[in-house]
Amino acid sequence: MVNATTLTFVVYLIGMVTIGIIAFRLTDSLSDYILGGRSLGPGVTALSAGASDMSGWLLLGLPGALFAAGMNQIWIAIGLSVGAYLNWQLVAPRLRIYTEQASNALTLPDFLENRFSDETRLLRVLSAVVILLFFTFYTSSGLVAGAKLFEATFDMPYDAALWIGAAVIIAYTFLGGFLAVSWTDFVQGTLMFLALIVIPFVTLQQVGSWDAVTAAVAETNPEFLDAFHDMTVLGIISLAAWGLGYFGQPHILARFMAIRRVSDIPLARLIGMGWMVIGLFGAMFTGSIAIAYFGPDQLDDPEKVFIVLSQVLFHPMVSGILLAAILAAVMSTIDSQLLVSSSAITEDFYRQILRKEAPETELVWVGRISVVIIALIATLLATDRDSSVLSLVSYAWAGFGAAFGPIVLLSLMWRGLSRNGALFGMVSGAVTVVVWKAQTGGLFDLYEILPGFIVCGGVAILVSLFGKPASEETLVEYDRIRAMWR
Amino acid sequence: MDATLTTATWYWLLIPMPLVVLLSLLSWLVHVLGARRGEG
Repeated sequence: MVNATTLTFVVYLIGMVTIGIIAFRLTDSLSDYILGGRSLGPGVTALSAGASDMSGWLLLGLPGALFAAGMNQIWIAIGLSVGAYLNWQLVAPRLRIYTEQASNALTLPDFLENRFSDETRLLRVLSAVVILLFFTFYTSSGLVAGAKLFEATFDMPYDAALWIGAAVIIAYTFLGGFLAVSWTDFVQGTLMFLALIVIPFVTLQQVGSWDAVTAAVAETNPEFLDAFHDMTVLGIISLAAWGLGYFGQPHILARFMAIRRVSDIPLARLIGMGWMVIGLFGAMFTGSIAIAYFGPDQLDDPEKVFIVLSQVLFHPMVSGILLAAILAAVMSTIDSQLLVSSSAITEDFYRQILRKEAPETELVWVGRISVVIIALIATLLATDRDSSVLSLVSYAWAGFGAAFGPIVLLSLMWRGLSRNGALFGMVSGAVTVVVWKAQTGGLFDLYEILPGFIVCGGVAILVSLFGKPASEETLVEYDRIRAMWR
Repeated sequence: MDATLTTATWYWLLIPMPLVVLLSLLSWLVHVLGARRGEG
């Protein structure tokens, strides 16, 4: 059994590296390496954005939460779906047009500097440092999660799992950059999607009917059917507020910047939202149906619902494909974050500040070397699986969401946002997240992204209205570009 | 009755999820039809 499953894994990993080699041949410039030369079709854009966003949580965490606590976990799925939709609707087309029109911005810090004609470079440097710092820890934390998973599932030594996983990710990201990351994300997203359809479907056939599932859930704990049990208003708002994070995640926004044509966005949005919502439903059904399949208290770790179902219900070869979907979910997030970190070094520091005249070939190699250096730092950090540094990751989703989210939204939808408004908004949003998270009890139990988002947006608007106004140059450019998306 | 009520409650709560897919479908259809009309 182990051999068939292992064989499937090896084929999967070789497939990922092969994609990297193909993408290598198509990568000539820095724009190719960090943004795929803005050539992604709607399907690849959609699944790449989705797979970069959803990590192992979709296949392990969410089914486990439904299995262990019932329907009160649906709030996060609702919040994420609405947030992702609004991101596609409000941000994607505007950001695609603006980043290309305003001096061909290749990164989020690039866009912010160009949008506000910031000659001090503060916006660029500050945002690039934050991206570099948090994504290195984020990558490291993802590697820890992946290695722990394979240690537990296959009795593989932690360090071996860690270095094999890191080597494969480094190989294809190093070689093929954004195209390799996006194409592998597409394959990985497809694997995740299939797994989240097949597992609940087959498990439901074993259980018999949906009525049998609801009866079993009600018998286990009638409160499992109630979305409000054990939930406070703050708890519900906190879960739903996760959706606010989308507007500020650099690795997801990069997909919007890389789509081939703005006119492809409606189809990409449809594919992306269909993938996400069906995936979320699949994960939730998996957790619910598993209650009927296993009976109460039959699993020591609820987060292993997906893994155990893959192993007991399917032929080892199929089981290997389904388990590879978990690895795919983890890898597709890590590779995107790794590449965004490399982009911050290459575009925002090396090209813009250190070597303005550097030729494209040199820049691509700086990008590749940055990928290796960041990945090695992240992997070395991950060798200490209990490192306290990794706890910084818990700030990342809220931090990016609160510091960048309102600024991205306002900069694309309000001509009056000034450079100082953006700068003070970003800093105040980030500080609010850190301070709020350090407090406990009462209102401070609210997920920090919400106060951070409100403070960032509020400060940005107030400073823009009452401080030094947006420059004439930025207003003229905003109006010119705005006319293009109307 | 309670069980029926709570079951119904969470089904209703999930409506925003298919709704965003439906909205995406509608806006794609509008886009496709608009593009065809433009060509015509």
